[in-house]
Amino acid sequence: MSHTQNKSSAFQQGMVIFIYLAALTALEYFIAITFTAVPILVLIAVIKVALVMYYYMHIYKLSEESDSDQSSYSYKTGSNRFGLWLFLLSDSFVFGGLLVSRFNLLAMTRPPLNQLLGLAVTVVLLLSSFFMNRGETAMALGDKKGFFTNTIVTFILGLGFLIGVVAVEWPNAAREGLTASGDAAGAIFYMMTGMHAFHVFTGLIFMLIVMNNARKDVYSAEKHWGVEAAAVYWHFIDLVWIFFYPALYLIGKLL
Amino acid sequence: MKRFFSSALARGLFWQFVGTLVGAGLITGIRALMGLSVTDKFFFTEPAWVLGGFFGVLFFMVGTGVTDDWIKWARGIDTPDHHEDRFEGWEKYVNVSLDHKVIGAQYAITSLALICIGGLFALIFRVELAQSQLQFLTTDLNLFGQNGPQLYNTLMSLHGMIMIVSILLGIAGMINYIVPLLLGAQDMSFPRLNAFSYWIAVPAAVLLLMSLVLGGFDTGWTGYPPLSARAPVGMQMFFLGVFTAGWSSILGALNTIVTVVRMRAKGMTAFKMPIFVWSAVATSIIALTATQLIGLSFQLVMFQRLFGMGFFDPAKGGNPILFQHLFWFYSHPAVYVFILPGLGIISELLPVFVRKPLFGYRWIAMSSMAIALVGFLVWAHHMFTSGMNEYLRVPFMYSTLLVAIPTGVKFFSWIATIWGGKITTPTPMLFVLAGIVVFLMGGLSGPPNATVSVDLHLHDTYFIVGHFHDTIFGGFVFPFFAALYYWFPKATGRRMNETLGKIHFWLMTPSFLVLTLGMMRIGLLGMRRRIVDYDPAMGFDSTHMVLTIAGFLIALSVLIFLYNFFNSIKNGEKAEGNLWNSRSPEWQVPSPMPAHNYEIPFEVVGEPYDYGLADAPYTKFMKPETGKHN
Amino acid sequence: MRHFITVGILVLIAAALTYFGLTAAGLMPVEASVQSISIDWLFNYEVMAISFLFALIVVPLFYSLVVFRRRKGETGEGQYFEGNTPLEIGWTIAPLFIVIAFAYMGSYSLSDIRRVDPNATEIKVTGSQWAWKFEYPNYGVTSNELHLIVNQQVNLKMESTDVLHSFFVPEFRMKQDLVPGRVTEYRVTPSLIGSYKVRCAEICGTSHAYMEAPVIVTSAKDFDAWIKTQNAPAADPVANGKKLVANNGCLGCHTVDGSKLVGPTWKGLYGSQVLLADGSTVTADDAYLKESITNPTAKVVKDYPPVMPPFALKDQEIADIIAYIATLK
Repeated sequence: MSHTQNKSSAFQQGMVIFIYLAALTALEYFIAITFTAVPILVLIAVIKVALVMYYYMHIYKLSEESDSDQSSYSYKTGSNRFGLWLFLLSDSFVFGGLLVSRFNLLAMTRPPLNQLLGLAVTVVLLLSSFFMNRGETAMALGDKKGFFTNTIVTFILGLGFLIGVVAVEWPNAAREGLTASGDAAGAIFYMMTGMHAFHVFTGLIFMLIVMNNARKDVYSAEKHWGVEAAAVYWHFIDLVWIFFYPALYLIGKLL
Repeated sequence: MKRFFSSALARGLFWQFVGTLVGAGLITGIRALMGLSVTDKFFFTEPAWVLGGFFGVLFFMVGTGVTDDWIKWARGIDTPDHHEDRFEGWEKYVNVSLDHKVIGAQYAITSLALICIGGLFALIFRVELAQSQLQFLTTDLNLFGQNGPQLYNTLMSLHGMIMIVSILLGIAGMINYIVPLLLGAQDMSFPRLNAFSYWIAVPAAVLLLMSLVLGGFDTGWTGYPPLSARAPVGMQMFFLGVFTAGWSSILGALNTIVTVVRMRAKGMTAFKMPIFVWSAVATSIIALTATQLIGLSFQLVMFQRLFGMGFFDPAKGGNPILFQHLFWFYSHPAVYVFILPGLGIISELLPVFVRKPLFGYRWIAMSSMAIALVGFLVWAHHMFTSGMNEYLRVPFMYSTLLVAIPTGVKFFSWIATIWGGKITTPTPMLFVLAGIVVFLMGGLSGPPNATVSVDLHLHDTYFIVGHFHDTIFGGFVFPFFAALYYWFPKATGRRMNETLGKIHFWLMTPSFLVLTLGMMRIGLLGMRRRIVDYDPAMGFDSTHMVLTIAGFLIALSVLIFLYNFFNSIKNGEKAEGNLWNSRSPEWQVPSPMPAHNYEIPFEVVGEPYDYGLADAPYTKFMKPETGKHN
Repeated sequence: MRHFITVGILVLIAAALTYFGLTAAGLMPVEASVQSISIDWLFNYEVMAISFLFALIVVPLFYSLVVFRRRKGETGEGQYFEGNTPLEIGWTIAPLFIVIAFAYMGSYSLSDIRRVDPNATEIKVTGSQWAWKFEYPNYGVTSNELHLIVNQQVNLKMESTDVLHSFFVPEFRMKQDLVPGRVTEYRVTPSLIGSYKVRCAEICGTSHAYMEAPVIVTSAKDFDAWIKTQNAPAADPVANGKKLVANNGCLGCHTVDGSKLVGPTWKGLYGSQVLLADGSTVTADDAYLKESITNPTAKVVKDYPPVMPPFALKDQEIADIIAYIATLK
């Protein structure tokens, strides 16, 4: 628990990480529109993922020693955490398969998409991750009000991302001639964004459930596995997008 | 009967029916509003059937009540850790239970039921194949909208997938029942998820069978596009069924890994775990990750059919070979999912019946992990003739041949284990020994398929069919029967009849050897797989007749087994003690196992397989603490 | 020690018996291509290795079952030994060498069968549900039979019009899939005059079992004679129609003897009344038959699936086919 001992330092850390992520995203965009350097883009994505996994998803908690009593809450939380990470590992194979399919079908070309719009939804999702982290930190410190404020902001941003992709980006792409039943480029674009949007949708529902339970005082500073799970899941969705965004919007010559 | 109709199983099936109608009705209504066609050859349109199938699964799961606790949690209501079973006797097995032993038995029995269905399909087309020309699956036939050859294709494809699902359920059954007992755990880590993993396999099996009556499909179990993109609507039910069964496998594997990592008894370090646990973990690692890829590949074809998305359609810039890569990335490691638990059973039971330590325990444990990891790198050896980039064939030949090394380690260790023992051969041991020999034949017929040039001849012939059946019978079926005979007394307190067990064995083993050797023989001579009819000029008629007879003898032996199994539950000879004189913890307590496993927890103080070493117990039961009940 | 010597001798005997037994059974069909020699060479070594390894495991297994069985009234446990590290390292390393050897031999054999003859003739192969079509661009000939000259390499350029197929001639020992949207290559040098069959080895639907065509390996002289007969214009429209029907794979779905395949039979079709899927009837005259070839889904016969692709043929060719169908009474 050393990482969240001090209230202000925990929030501060979240902020610093967010600034790093935002800077890297901006750098990524700048590199992509000025000169082609796929290895650098991949490197940036990997750094972003590492930051999210360590500071937002707290992967180090997997190796925490827990209570030796197997029926205690902390021991069970340890098992739950391990189970959730295994689930994410499993899920990442779906996204990995989609990425492989994208590069197999389109190679080094990319579909005709609005890069600014892509950057906009990416920033929205990144922001939502930042607020999710604040919400979880607040709950861990017993600050219910802070939890609600931040989680509601996360929810609104997440919804914004979903609308941005499904209700703005999709019709926009269709106007550019990129349709699901058109060619393979359209097919893989709608499949990737659709699969991701489905996960966003489930993440939002998860958040609603957690907020409802928090309203009923199910969670406390010590026992809030549900909040942690919702947060880790939400960050995972962000993590997937860290790869999908350059793969769809930045890498390759325009088709 | 009345009690059956109020069981979770009956409720679930009822709700699946309702859900199918609701989903299909929903799409049909929308289509009617949009002015699209609302009916098709099989009453509903294809999109309607797909959503219907999907809703059917959801309704099934909610209808059985297996999701009740989760729904309560979502609403902020706490539930007790364990629910006591409300039912006794057979009713326990058709209702939702959180007890890993009940779930294990449910898995095993469902697996046996599916083996019977898949076997029945095999018998049907085996009869057709007994002679060249078409006998009863003729072109004039019209059953479920299919003529004879189409029906043959459907049955042959379903035989493949139903057997695969039954294997997945069979290994889940063994893992579920045995692993927590071997670990000294009260249950799996996530009992509700465990029940969920089992129950979701039931609607999956129903979906698979629905594909038979909805026009079938003619692609084989592999479902390669573009053929699968134009097959009848049964194809969608097949995809949906496999997708659903995949979730059962993924979630079960997740549960197994967490259980092994977090629920071991005191003192049980990694290399003091019973060897079966190692193979369960190796299997679960593959099932957890790779299964997603078959789900994804089938999902992509489903969407190609539903929305015209051109992933695998060359006319739209798609790539049919991409499907094969995604598909085999799961489906090759999948065969290691099927065999590793069985090989674990062989390693687990051998020491008991030869009264000697398992030779090279660590190497056997590591060889399971090695097989699992190398298994991820070999998938494209199924595609040597597919037209993929030619240079890829050589590295995949090397990686595939590498699998022989860890597999060889297992064989040599088994032989060294048997050497110098005091061997007894009750029924489980017979099945273990036959498993070794049959798996050896499967293993040895593998490398010719791995070398590219020879595979150009062998690919898609009966040689592959024979090779595959050898590996799966040796790696799963024989060990599975061994496990059923071996742990039956643990579950029921009675043992199965030895005489019938031996008849089962001596009927099945020679028939099976004849079956696969015959398959390989005609395969080498050019008999293609997946064909309803063959040229009489090739001279395969008499061999096929023998194969058919062998197939029926195997079926007969399984019937004998089933009689023995169900009869012994009530009438078997009592066997409540340590029947096999095993060192394993579960045999140190009386059978049948109590509801929460070990009343008194145990501690690991020695090596698991020190047979023949005096005063070296594996486990020690801790002093009972008064007043504390589990 | 006595046990080891006995088992060692038994292993060698069993391995020899297995190997000679297997090879005496005649495992492979005749070798009819240069490539098959290289493949059979490798397979022979594999059978050798299989025989030895089979004996190596099975003989000690059965030997133990007999010698180390628990005899009546015997008590006690087996000998206590739980491992032997040098031995275990040995049986991990030794197979590694065997694996490397076979991988090397496999690569060698593969490069051997892929050896390119710059003078190889090209033939275009088209697979479709459920027929084969062979085009000889050098001669302007299209046929449903594959005629090859002995000892001369051909390079088959293969395409599929619909689903996956696979070109498989057991006597040539090789197969190669046909993938829609790309051209795959099959190089073979036939070495034995005779007639064989190419059969589809990748499941391709209802009549997959019957998707076959003759492969005839002949001398150069016979080949030229065959080309001449193919080039000679068929004066008789009926004969020409019959040839077109065969070359376009019509007989994969339609029969001429009255039996039912995927599509309706042609026997007695001409001039008859046909019941359509929508319930109406139509007379099978020239106009109907022509429409059914160029636009097959316009009028679908009752109880048959609308799966036939449209065929782009010349008017004269269609007339010849109809003339042929008219003769099938």
